[in-house]
Amino acid sequence: MLLQLKNIFKWVNSGGQRIFLLKDINLEVQEGEFISVMGPSGSGKSTLLNVIGMLDGFDEGEYTFLDEPVHSLKEKHRANLYKEYIGFVFQQYHLLDDLTVKENLEMPLLYKKFKGTERRAMVADMLDRFNIVGKKDLFPTQLSGGQQQLVGIARALISSPKLILADEPTGNLNSKQGEEIMELFKELNQEGVTIIQVTHSEKNASYGSRIINLLDGRMI
Amino acid sequence: MIKHNIILFFRNIKRNKSSFLINMIGLSTGMACTLLISLWVMDELAVDKFHEEHDRIYQVIEHLNFSDGVQTMIETFGPMAELLSEEFPEVEFAAEAIPPSWFGKHNLSIDGKSIKAVGQIVGKDYFNIFSFDLLTGNTDNLLTDPNSIVISKELALSLFGRTENVIGKTITYEQDKRFMVSGIFEGTPANSTLQFDFALSSLAYKDVPPWTSLHSWNGSGPQVYVLLKEGANIDALNAKVDKLRKSTNPESIRTALLVPFAEHYLHGTYENGKQVGGRIQYVTLFSIIALIILVIACINFMNLSTARATKRLKEIGVKKAVGANRKIFITQFLGESLLMAFIALVFSLTMVALFLPQFNTIVGKQLTLVFDINLILIIIGITIFTGIIAGSYPAIYLSGFNAITVLKGKLNQSLGELWTRKGLVIVQFSLSIILITSVLVVYMQMQYVQNQNLGYKQDNIVQFNIEGQINNQKESFITELRKLPTVQNAASTTHNMVGHNWSVGLDWEGRNQRNIAFQVVGVDYGFIETMNMEIVKGRGFNREFGADSLGLVFNETAIKTMNIEDPIGKIVRGFYGQGTIIGVVKDFHFKSLHDKVEPLFLVMMPEAVKKVMVRIAAGKEQQAISEIQQLYKTFNPSLPFEYEFLDKDFQALYHSEQRVATLSKYFAGLAILISCLGLFGLVVFSTERRRKEISIRKVLGQEASQITYMLSSEFAKLVLTSAIIAIPIAYVLISNWLSTFSYRISLNLWYFLSAGLIALLIAMLTVGSQTISAANKNPVRGLREE
Repeated sequence: MLLQLKNIFKWVNSGGQRIFLLKDINLEVQEGEFISVMGPSGSGKSTLLNVIGMLDGFDEGEYTFLDEPVHSLKEKHRANLYKEYIGFVFQQYHLLDDLTVKENLEMPLLYKKFKGTERRAMVADMLDRFNIVGKKDLFPTQLSGGQQQLVGIARALISSPKLILADEPTGNLNSKQGEEIMELFKELNQEGVTIIQVTHSEKNASYGSRIINLLDGRMI
Repeated sequence: MIKHNIILFFRNIKRNKSSFLINMIGLSTGMACTLLISLWVMDELAVDKFHEEHDRIYQVIEHLNFSDGVQTMIETFGPMAELLSEEFPEVEFAAEAIPPSWFGKHNLSIDGKSIKAVGQIVGKDYFNIFSFDLLTGNTDNLLTDPNSIVISKELALSLFGRTENVIGKTITYEQDKRFMVSGIFEGTPANSTLQFDFALSSLAYKDVPPWTSLHSWNGSGPQVYVLLKEGANIDALNAKVDKLRKSTNPESIRTALLVPFAEHYLHGTYENGKQVGGRIQYVTLFSIIALIILVIACINFMNLSTARATKRLKEIGVKKAVGANRKIFITQFLGESLLMAFIALVFSLTMVALFLPQFNTIVGKQLTLVFDINLILIIIGITIFTGIIAGSYPAIYLSGFNAITVLKGKLNQSLGELWTRKGLVIVQFSLSIILITSVLVVYMQMQYVQNQNLGYKQDNIVQFNIEGQINNQKESFITELRKLPTVQNAASTTHNMVGHNWSVGLDWEGRNQRNIAFQVVGVDYGFIETMNMEIVKGRGFNREFGADSLGLVFNETAIKTMNIEDPIGKIVRGFYGQGTIIGVVKDFHFKSLHDKVEPLFLVMMPEAVKKVMVRIAAGKEQQAISEIQQLYKTFNPSLPFEYEFLDKDFQALYHSEQRVATLSKYFAGLAILISCLGLFGLVVFSTERRRKEISIRKVLGQEASQITYMLSSEFAKLVLTSAIIAIPIAYVLISNWLSTFSYRISLNLWYFLSAGLIALLIAMLTVGSQTISAANKNPVRGLREE
């Protein structure tokens, strides 16, 4: 088992009222799964993804990741955990405009203890694998949306995470580009990477092995 | 990682050229100011410290216990030196001196070649105490012969054209006395308070007044220096010194004290017997100004970096999401600001090199940019300080963001952050307003000082030394002078009008054991008239009354202090026997306006006069000078004619204030300029951020002028708040400074208000252009981009 959420609650207080963002979420994810999280706007999809990615906290419940109790870990320890095992893919790609493709790919490695030669080798591997060697010295603004997302995924994969979290990865892409990205996810999944994606599209959800539906912070 | 961060840093600069430029100009100007001031401060701190044994060289000062308080002077009695070296084993050497400031410039000549040079009369061990290195000569017998003269290398070169084979050669002094060169010294370095070209032996003028004071306990004036043996206990010694001093005259109101000579330059001001500072106050003041300017520049950097943060949010978010922790960000942002500081350093060093000559003219120094270890440490210190101060707030602020909120672009400007930024602007402007107010007040005080009625008319007075053949024919020279068409009057005196310190004690009927030091001014007939001094009682010196050599004219303060009801005709004893008070002159200033007018009397001393004072017709200076020069040449054909204007002399008393005034004018200007740069940057960002709001307001029908007003008034409020904070602080600081003047302007609210107004005006000019253009933009575009 990769991770397990038990009775997770998350809320904010607004004007004396408690508004629940996540309500009693129970979820088990096995290694190698491809899960799609669906639901209307404001149903808590992204919040759930952020909680799983340890970018965001929760108020109640237990979260175990690879047998580590995330809820009782110190910030530093938690950061080490997600740095090591989790990669993020964003709807807006979030590539750094001031860095070239190559440098963007290299960035996550800087926060782990890799030597310069190792880093260069890993970056070269990724460029090869995604067929973007020719674009390595271009800046993100010089690429199309699909190409940018490709770089985004390559960046998420570079430190070989066990889990990829993707928040509407195709939301900003046209249908053809979107399809290519989803095919890529499918391939990655077959190679053993666990994927959790948030999506609005039934078609994209169908690439996955399981669908979780959220409504007002509750799993249905 | 470092390489990555440096790449990001430079690409960031490339994309945000204008804010980089604002930051760079601000930081490098600030650092350049600080560097210049550091150079000056280092130089000030080094004055008189070049003497090898400077920590063992002491100087005698005297506290005079008057009934209305204690006055302190460095003038003491010549025989002190001998007494000290004979009585105390701790004293290695002691020497008395008539300092260059009193002895002044004199003619030295060989074979018809004549040169004016500054000299002093010193005791035999003078060169054993001070490290004026000798090229030739032996410190132990340099000045044991009354006819010996020690000259500087430069003087030797201009007189003889060489430094070898000069020992034993004869130099004619003032065309009547001959001295033999006994030694040549290297010269006086620029950071020496003692500046002189030659020294005569104290044995040379045992009988010539006023130099007799070197050998008598009967009138102070000379200075006494002492070199202590290593390990001597100064406190124990000082206790003994005063006892000894009292043994020579138990009634004396004077308390002698040894103080470190090298410290005296910076710590030379005494108030009521207590050391209360001196030039060190200016050193401190400028150090503070340097710090203030640097902080203002750093604040710019902080404000612009945090304001620009919105543009860097993505970078922070993404990095956080891939696992960068807070420490990494803090290092990155601090590293960036340090890098900025080092780039700014390069610019500021260039600026310093460019402006050093001008700066030198203002401060009257010869500072150079020599990279010795001290300077390098200071430069590195300033740079790291700037980098860390400027970068700390952005580093902490930017690194504290939450990754998700940042990536969602949902970063709300928190109230606290807004207040921090506003607070920083308020700090900047408060400091600027304090500086502007100070500059205004210093300027007004200087105006006041220069237009103050001194008790005599200081303008249009030409003064020069009595020298050469004029010495023998003083009276006919003065008579000839008065005949010149452009000369209104002329007379002679023993002293410069300003800054002399020759005092004696007197005795009179009803003295009541009170001890008063009287300043003595020896004059010749016509002096009071020439100076346009006002006689308030009795009369001035007049040939027609005869026997005026026994007559004394006191100033009002003296009469008041002596407490004599009807002074005219009273007998006074103690100075050359006894004299009669024949008149009272209205108080006049002979020191700077820092000091109160002291008791003083004028006495006829035609045999001892040293200076000629000539009142010339206003507006005819050139003609008058050439006429006087012609007359001078008929008496002294081979001597160069050198003269000074009295008002120049008087202005020299305020040199340090003038310099402070000029310098603070520039620094206040720079401070406000740097502050405005920061404000400008902030306005650019704030209008950019509020573009949507502005567009909506316009669509809903608000006029461009109303929007401009709304945007500008926000900044105006900041400046007004600054004024409210700055005015009380400025008031305290300035009244403190003014209180060092006994005669000063009264502070009025107008100074403070105008400083605030100036700051407001400049700020509004800065803000205006941006807000107007923001208010006039097409609203549709502002909305579409959102």
